[in-house]
Amino acid sequence: MTVQAPWGPEPAVKVVGATEAAPPQSRTGRKAPWWMWVAGVLIVLPLVLPLVFLFFRVLGASDAALDILFDLRTAELALRSTVLTVLVTATAVAVGVAAAWVISSTEVPGRKAWGVLVPLPLVIPSYVLALSFLAASGPRGTLATVTGWDVPVLDGLPGAWLALTLSTFPFVYLMVLAALRRLDPALEDAARGLGASRWRSFWTVTLPQLRPAIGAGALLAALYTLSDFGAVSLMRYAAFTTAIYAQYAGRIDRTPAAVLSVLLILIALVIIWAEQRTRGNAAYHTSRPARRRSRQRLSTGERIAALGFLVSVVTLGVVIPVVVLTTWAWRGARVGETVTIDWGAVGGSLVGSSLAAILAMAAAIPIVVLTVRYRGRASGWLERTVFVTFSLPHITVALAVVFFAVRYLGPLYQSLTLLVVVYASIFLAQATGATRASMLQVNPSVEEASRSLGRGPLQTLRSVTVPLIRPGLLAGGALVFLTTMKELPATLLLRPTGFDTLAVRIWSAANELFYARAAASALVLLGLSAIPLYFLVLSTKESSE
Amino acid sequence: MTEALPAIECRGLFETYGDTVALDDFSLVVGKGEVVSLVGPSGCGKTTALRAIAGFEPPDAGSVSIGGRTVFSEGVDVAPEKRRVGMVFQEYALFPHMTVADNVGYGVTEEDRVERVGEVLDLVGLTGMDHRLPSELSGGEQQRVALARALAPRPEVVLLDEPFSNLDAPHRDRMRRDVRRILRDAGATAVFVTHDQSEALAIADTVAVMRDGHVVQVGSPLDVYQRPADPWVASFLGESLAVEGIAENGVVKTDLGSFPVDGSVEGPVRVIIRPEWIVATPAANGEATVIDLEYYGHDQMLVLELAEGRRVQARVGRRPVLERGDRVDLEFQEAVVFPTD
Amino acid sequence: MRRFGLIALVVALVVSACSTDTDTLTVYSGRSEDLIGPLIQQFEEESGIDVAVRYGGSTEIAATLLEEGDRSPADVVFTQDPASIGAVALEGMLDPLPIALLSRVPERFSDTDGRWVGVSGRARTIVYDTTLLTPADLPATEDGLIGSEWQGLVGIAPANGSFLAFVAAKILLDGEAATLAWLEGMAANGSPAYSNNSSIVSAVADGQLDSGLVNHYYLLRRLKEQPETSAANYFFPEPTAGSLVMPAGVGILSATNNREAAEAFVAFLLSERSQRYFASETFEYPLIPGVPANNALPPIGDVPTPEIDLSELATVLDRATDLVTQAGLL
Repeated sequence: MTVQAPWGPEPAVKVVGATEAAPPQSRTGRKAPWWMWVAGVLIVLPLVLPLVFLFFRVLGASDAALDILFDLRTAELALRSTVLTVLVTATAVAVGVAAAWVISSTEVPGRKAWGVLVPLPLVIPSYVLALSFLAASGPRGTLATVTGWDVPVLDGLPGAWLALTLSTFPFVYLMVLAALRRLDPALEDAARGLGASRWRSFWTVTLPQLRPAIGAGALLAALYTLSDFGAVSLMRYAAFTTAIYAQYAGRIDRTPAAVLSVLLILIALVIIWAEQRTRGNAAYHTSRPARRRSRQRLSTGERIAALGFLVSVVTLGVVIPVVVLTTWAWRGARVGETVTIDWGAVGGSLVGSSLAAILAMAAAIPIVVLTVRYRGRASGWLERTVFVTFSLPHITVALAVVFFAVRYLGPLYQSLTLLVVVYASIFLAQATGATRASMLQVNPSVEEASRSLGRGPLQTLRSVTVPLIRPGLLAGGALVFLTTMKELPATLLLRPTGFDTLAVRIWSAANELFYARAAASALVLLGLSAIPLYFLVLSTKESSE
Repeated sequence: MTEALPAIECRGLFETYGDTVALDDFSLVVGKGEVVSLVGPSGCGKTTALRAIAGFEPPDAGSVSIGGRTVFSEGVDVAPEKRRVGMVFQEYALFPHMTVADNVGYGVTEEDRVERVGEVLDLVGLTGMDHRLPSELSGGEQQRVALARALAPRPEVVLLDEPFSNLDAPHRDRMRRDVRRILRDAGATAVFVTHDQSEALAIADTVAVMRDGHVVQVGSPLDVYQRPADPWVASFLGESLAVEGIAENGVVKTDLGSFPVDGSVEGPVRVIIRPEWIVATPAANGEATVIDLEYYGHDQMLVLELAEGRRVQARVGRRPVLERGDRVDLEFQEAVVFPTD
Repeated sequence: MRRFGLIALVVALVVSACSTDTDTLTVYSGRSEDLIGPLIQQFEEESGIDVAVRYGGSTEIAATLLEEGDRSPADVVFTQDPASIGAVALEGMLDPLPIALLSRVPERFSDTDGRWVGVSGRARTIVYDTTLLTPADLPATEDGLIGSEWQGLVGIAPANGSFLAFVAAKILLDGEAATLAWLEGMAANGSPAYSNNSSIVSAVADGQLDSGLVNHYYLLRRLKEQPETSAANYFFPEPTAGSLVMPAGVGILSATNNREAAEAFVAFLLSERSQRYFASETFEYPLIPGVPANNALPPIGDVPTPEIDLSELATVLDRATDLVTQAGLL
C-alpha cells in the first residue's frame, strides 16, 4: 500500500498513458474571419430578402386583398389541400412502414433487389408519376388501348392521391428502415418469449419504438404534398399551390397570390417546426445493438403476400411509369406526332442544373465552415435559415422572388442568373448537408497546423479544408444537380423567356394533353437523372466501406 | 545562456470559459534556445497556455510577446500565421492529402524550399521519404514529419502539445531522446506540454510546474525535484511521503525519526521524504519489516511497515538483497521541510 | 387607303433612318413568339431598329408593368386583349398615340382616350368537334352552355386573358349576378379547365373534348397544319359577350425614352404589310380598311359583336377574376 499524499488531487502514483480528452470540434478559440460572415449573410440573402418583402407586402395589403383570407374559396382550398395531405400521409405511412418492415425484418426473397427498387420513385418527379397515370388511364390511355376496356381517367383527388403517395412513401420508408436497423432485438425477443404473437409483438413492442421515425417521415410526406405543384396541377385537383399559380397568372393585381403564398408559408413553417421536434427525438438513439435482429420466417402464404405487396409497390412506382411513358413515346413517334427530343429544353436543363450545382457547392463552403467550426448562436441561425428556405414550398419562394426582382432588381428579373441563384439557394441545404458530413471528419488541428505554418484563413481554406471536404462537396453538387433537373414551379415563374427545361416541357405538354411529347421528354429526364444518381450511390457506398 | 530578448514572454494571462478558469495569472519567460517543459495535472491549463502563445486561444487579459515583439495585449492580437510559432500537435495533424515533402515544405516560402525540406528531413532522420503519404507512415515517422514541418520555416519557437502521448512505451523513450537531439541540433527554442512528470524532468532544460491556471514553480529539473516550492509540487513530481514534525534547535523530530534541519526553521513543520532518500540496512531488531518488494533489476522498491502499522516506501539499490519478512533499520538521508504555520 | 399605309411606312422608315437614336426598342408582348416573332423580325430588318422582346401572358405582362412602374424598361406594350392593356392605361402609364395612327382603325377597336390602338381583331367562338356536333346543336348565346346536356363537354381556359376579357364583357353587358351565375353553372357542369386556347383546340382536334370557348384563329392555324382535322368554329349568331370581337392592342409607355422608334413600331403594325401578315399568317382580322380577312372567316362586319366600350373592360377586369375565382374555376 502506498502512502497517499494528503495534499494535491493526484495520488503519488504515476499515471501511465493517460491523455487529456481530445479537444472538441469547435474550439472556443479565434473568431471566424469577418469576410466569412459576410459571405454567409450574402448567401442567404437572395431568399430571405424576398420572403421578408413578401410578408411586408401582404401586411400592407388593402383590405380587399385580405378579404381573400377569409372568403369561402380560401377555406375550400384549405380543406382540399388538407384532405389530400391527410390521405397521402396516411397511405405513405402505411406503405412505407410495411415495406420497411418486410424488407428489413423478414426473410422475403430478393431483399437486396427490393431494397434498391422500392425507394426508386424518389428519383421520379411527381408530375411524371402523374403524367404516367393520366396517360395510362382514360379512353386514350395505354390500358384502354391494350385491353379495349372503357377505363375512366385517373385524375382529380384519386389521381393526385396515388401519384403523391408513391412520391412520398420513400421518405417514410427510409426513415423507418434506419430506425428498424437500430432497434434492440432483445425487446422483441422478450415479447415473443412471453407468448406474444408476431403481430402482437410488432404492434405493442416494435411500432412504439418506431414512432419518432414514423412521425418525422410522415411530416416530411405532408410537407412535400402541401408543396407539390406539378402533380396536383396535372391531375386538375385545385389546391393551394395551383390556386397561387392561377392567381398569379390570371390576375393583374398580384396581391391575392401573395396573400395565399404567405398563408401557405405559415402552414409549412408549422409543419417544419413539428418535423424538427420529432426528428430531434428520433435522432436520440442508442448505439448499434450488439446483436443483429433475427429475421422473421414466413410461411408460404405470407411469403406470397409479402412478395405481392412489394411487387405492387414497385409496379406502381417504377414499372408502370416507365412502361407507359415508353409506349406513349413510341406510339407517338410512329404516328408522326412531333416527338422529337427538344434539345433546347435538354440544354436548358443541363445548363441550369450544372450552374446551380456549382454555385451551391461554392456557397456551401462558408456555411459549413461557419456552422461546424464556429458554432454559436449566429451560425445556428444561419443553419436554420438554410434549412427553412429549403423546406418552404417552391412556388411561394419563387413568387416572393418575382415580386422582389420586378421591383428592385430590374434587369435581373427573368434572367438566367437569377434563376440559377434561386435554384442554388433553395437546394443549398442538400449541398451543406453532404459537405457537413465530410467536414465533421476533418480534424481542426490540421487547419490550425496550416495557420501555425504561416497561411491565413483564406489560404488554409483553399489548401487544406476544401481538398479534404471534396467528397462531400461533390456529393452535394450531384444531389443539387439531380433535384434542380426535376424542379418545376420556380422555373415556371422565374425563367427567362425562351429558356425551357425538360421539367417545364413535360409539364406544359402534359397540361395540354400532348402525352406523347411529354412522355418522350420525361424519358430523357429520367435518363439524364441516372448519371448523377449513379455517382451518388457510388460515393455513399465508398464512404460506408 | 539566454540572450537579452526572451523567446517567449507571457505576463499575467487570464482566461475563463463559462464557469471554468483555464488561466489564472499565468506568467512564463522562455529564453532563446531553451527547452522548457510545462507540466501539470490534466485540466491545469497547460494546453490552453500553449494555444494562447500560438494564437489559437486569445486570452481574456495579459500579454504575450515572442522574440521581443508583442503579439497579444490590450488591443493587439496578432493572427497565428504571423507569429512565427511552430506547433506540433498531439495528433500530429499532418495534411493527409499531401506528401511528406509537401507537408514539410508547406510553411516554407523561400525559393530554396526543396533544399530546406531535404535539410530538415535529414535532421529528423527521414531522408528519402519525400513522396510518401502520411497514411503510409508509422506513428513515430508521422511525429518526425510533424516536427520537421514545424521546424522547416525556422520559427522563433516550437510548441509541442503532449508530443509523446500517442506513442506506445518502447517508442516513447526512443522518441524523447531523438526529439531532444533534434531540437538541440536545430538550436530551437521549444516549449512542450505534458502531464507526465518523468518526461518533463528528463527532456527539458527548464521545468515549469503548473496548477490551476498558473505556474507554481520554475527551475531546472534538479531544482524542482530536489527543492520543490511547496508540498503539492513535491508530491506531483515524483513519489513522496509526508510526515508531521516539530523543528527545534536544528533538529526535526517526527515519529519516523529525527533529521537535521536548517537552524532558522522552528515550530511545526511538514517533512517530505522521497523513497530514494531512505536507506535500509538489514538488522535483526530493525524498526521496520519488509512487507513487499518490487524488483526492477537496477533498483528495488521496498514497502516497509513500522511500529503502529505505519507504512513507508523506500527505493534502494540492488543491494542489500532482501526478502519479505526481513527486518531493517532506516536512515533518512534527506528531507524537504515546509513550515506549517 | 392603301397608299396611306405605304406612305406611313415610308415615313416610318425615313424617320427611323434619319434618327441618330438607334437604341434598342423594348417591347413587352403578351402575344406569343410563334405568332408575332417573324413580324418583329421584319420590322427590325426594314427599320434597322433593334428590338428586344419580352414575351409572356398578357395578364402577366400587364402585371409586370404595373409592378415595375416608372422603372420599367419597356417602350411598347402589345397584348392580345384590350382588358390587360386597358389595365395598364388605367394606371396612367400609356401616352395617347398620334392621331395619325389612331385614325387608321375604326374607333370601336381603340381606346376612347387614344392610349392604345387595336392592331388585329379576334372573335370569340366555340370550337367544336364536327363528328359529334353540328351548328344546330350549339346554343345562340353562351348562356345555353350551362344546361345539363353540356355536362363536361365545354372546355374553358379560366386564366387566359381573352377569357377574362370575355367575362369582363359579360359583366358589362349582363351584370355581375348573371355573370356569376353563368360561371357557377359552367363550374357545376364540370367544364374542363385548360391553360390556354391552343390546348383547348388541340383537345378538340384530338377527339378528347367535344367543344371549347376560344379565339377563332387557333383552329385556323391548326387546320393549316392538319387539314383533315374534324373541327370547326362556331360564331354566336346573337350579339352577346360570347361573340365579342376584341382587338389585340398596342400602346406606348409614357416612361419611354425611345418614342420615335416606338411610334415607328406601332405604325409598322398598322401598315398594310403587317395587316396582311395578320390576315394570312395568324388568321386574325385585319383592322385597317382595304385588307381582306381570310376567306374562311365571316367578314368582321357580319360578326354580331355586342355594343360595349372596349376601354371599359379594364375597369371590371379584376371583378371578372374575382368572379371566376369565386365560382371555383381559378
